[in-house]
Amino acid sequence: MGSHAKSWLVEDENAREMLERVLTARPFLLLPPLHRVPLRVGNTVELVGPSSSSKTHILIQAAITCILPEQWNGVIYGGLGQSAMFIDLDCRFDVLRFSELLNRRITEAGSSCKVDCNKMDSEAQFARMKHYNEELFALCMKRFLYIRCYDSSEFLATLKTLHYRLQKDRDTHGLNVHLLLIDSIGAFHWLDRGSSSFSLKGDNRKSWNIQNVSEAVVQEIRRLLSLHPMLVMATKAVVLGNKYSTNELTRNYGKWPAVDNPYSRNVTSSDQQLPYREYMPVVWQSFVTHRILVQATDDDSVNDGYPNGSVYLLEWLMPPVSSLDKFTVTDIGLFILS
Amino acid sequence: MAPLINLETEYPIIDSSFRNFCASHGIFSVEDFLIHDLYMLAAFAEQSMSSERLKEGITQVLSIIDEMHQPWLNGMELLEDAKRNKHVLPTGIQGIDLLLGGGVRIGQLTELVGPSSSGKTQVCLQTASNVASNHMVLYLDTGNSFSPERIAYFLGKTNDLASAQDKKSILQKVMSNILCHSVFDIFAMFDVLHQLESHLRYQDGGGGCQMRLLIVDSISLLISPVLGSNSTQGRALMLSAGYLLKKLAHQHNLAVLVINHTVGSEVGSSKPALGDCWKSIPHSRLFVSCDHGSNDYNVSILKHPSMASGKAARFLI
Repeated sequence: MGSHAKSWLVEDENAREMLERVLTARPFLLLPPLHRVPLRVGNTVELVGPSSSSKTHILIQAAITCILPEQWNGVIYGGLGQSAMFIDLDCRFDVLRFSELLNRRITEAGSSCKVDCNKMDSEAQFARMKHYNEELFALCMKRFLYIRCYDSSEFLATLKTLHYRLQKDRDTHGLNVHLLLIDSIGAFHWLDRGSSSFSLKGDNRKSWNIQNVSEAVVQEIRRLLSLHPMLVMATKAVVLGNKYSTNELTRNYGKWPAVDNPYSRNVTSSDQQLPYREYMPVVWQSFVTHRILVQATDDDSVNDGYPNGSVYLLEWLMPPVSSLDKFTVTDIGLFILS
Repeated sequence: MAPLINLETEYPIIDSSFRNFCASHGIFSVEDFLIHDLYMLAAFAEQSMSSERLKEGITQVLSIIDEMHQPWLNGMELLEDAKRNKHVLPTGIQGIDLLLGGGVRIGQLTELVGPSSSGKTQVCLQTASNVASNHMVLYLDTGNSFSPERIAYFLGKTNDLASAQDKKSILQKVMSNILCHSVFDIFAMFDVLHQLESHLRYQDGGGGCQMRLLIVDSISLLISPVLGSNSTQGRALMLSAGYLLKKLAHQHNLAVLVINHTVGSEVGSSKPALGDCWKSIPHSRLFVSCDHGSNDYNVSILKHPSMASGKAARFLI
């Protein structure tokens, strides 16, 4: 008995060892263009922006970084080598574009390493390179898990059964999920609001309204994160108002009905108001730990190096970073401009 | 929202004692399970008398819930499905086909926006006549704009060099492949689409001529009356229609082409109708306009999954 009590007091590891262990098991991620603030598991990042502002593209880039291995066959890819899950609530995911971007990353990393290799037997080497790239492509694509949901019931059903699936995957394939991507968390907002709660039989019966659905969603994601630590990234389509608006947008902005107020509240920072109207319920707003605003600009002046690309402006709202980032998206991928 | 009692025949574990237990927590149907905390429910079950049976019941419900969502796919399976099924359907209009990289894509919802008489219906008719030579087409007509004469005219133009006999047989084949339905309100459209869904579920897998194109001319005419200014029901209807179209497109391998009109914006230029909620529904949005005086039409990309917006082209009809 005495020895048991004593073994409680003996230290397992000192602070430095613990820090090393945590940093290797749960590394900080610097995903361009979100490189200003390091992200790690347990964070919930919300990408906010009007329609067509490359939010989904940023998610795709994060997924590609996650599924690529750290290094493979001597080539360094700089990825995490873990699974990424994509819950598509917008149902607009284009897998052909995704595979194109993944292939480009693989060939780019492979070709930059080729400089070190010998020049002889270049044809055989090229063929071997191509074969390795294809093998790696298949390996990475298998780490990308995708599901579509056409309404909130499917979304909740997915979240409730996700834990068992992940556990099964972990036991059979040894797959660990690092990234949970949700494309457009607000996709069913109007659908749920429209399904008005007519009175149902039973006193303590919860009705299917936006508040209960959002609470259930946040609760399931929290449970999931406690069992399978992941980085959560969600996009949200908003309408910009105030200082970011053109005349057209202020007209829409002014039209939001007053009945919003019981369910949403502007999360105001100390000095400035949010540049858009928040519509997600408070339970989701308080779950989010990081928030980024992206929007398209017409600024072509900085775009000389990348024709055929649109330029986007990125601003960190939470934690607030004073500088704005500019990046462009072309056929080839995403490039930081400033 | 079927009540739990309906499940008893198939799953005898969901018996009356389980249902009473659920009712005491305010759960009367499977959907109620979705918004409840199942861990808490299991904890309550632990404390009650027949805890083992109750927990078995909860596990059974969880496996029922597991069938309520779409299957999980990995990237390779998605890619294979896209390569095998999600081809591109050429519209037959050279300018548009070049701009879109082949034509309208199966599995995606493409929207054509433009002011009145900018050629939107003509593009739809031309696309229908082009696709109908090989596949079936469903044309939902809201404003009596479907014209068999125009279809015959387009066919005559493309098959200029064929013999009269061939022309006649092509015309017959195309005409029998185009199904035209008049719908004048959104509920009629939902009706037709649900019927289509059950029909396609039986058709898929069989050989022969499959349906590959669905045209709604125009969806704005159906949605605008219910949309109003402050109506949440209207927006919910609009979004349900959008999701139903996308579901049909993806699960039954259809290309969906919808027409939207424009409204004036405060700046003076025109913008697409149906507001901001609709913006995130279509995969691609194309703006069509007509040069007054000449027969030239312009098309530009407002949104596309893999191309930058702003790319434009001209075409003739």
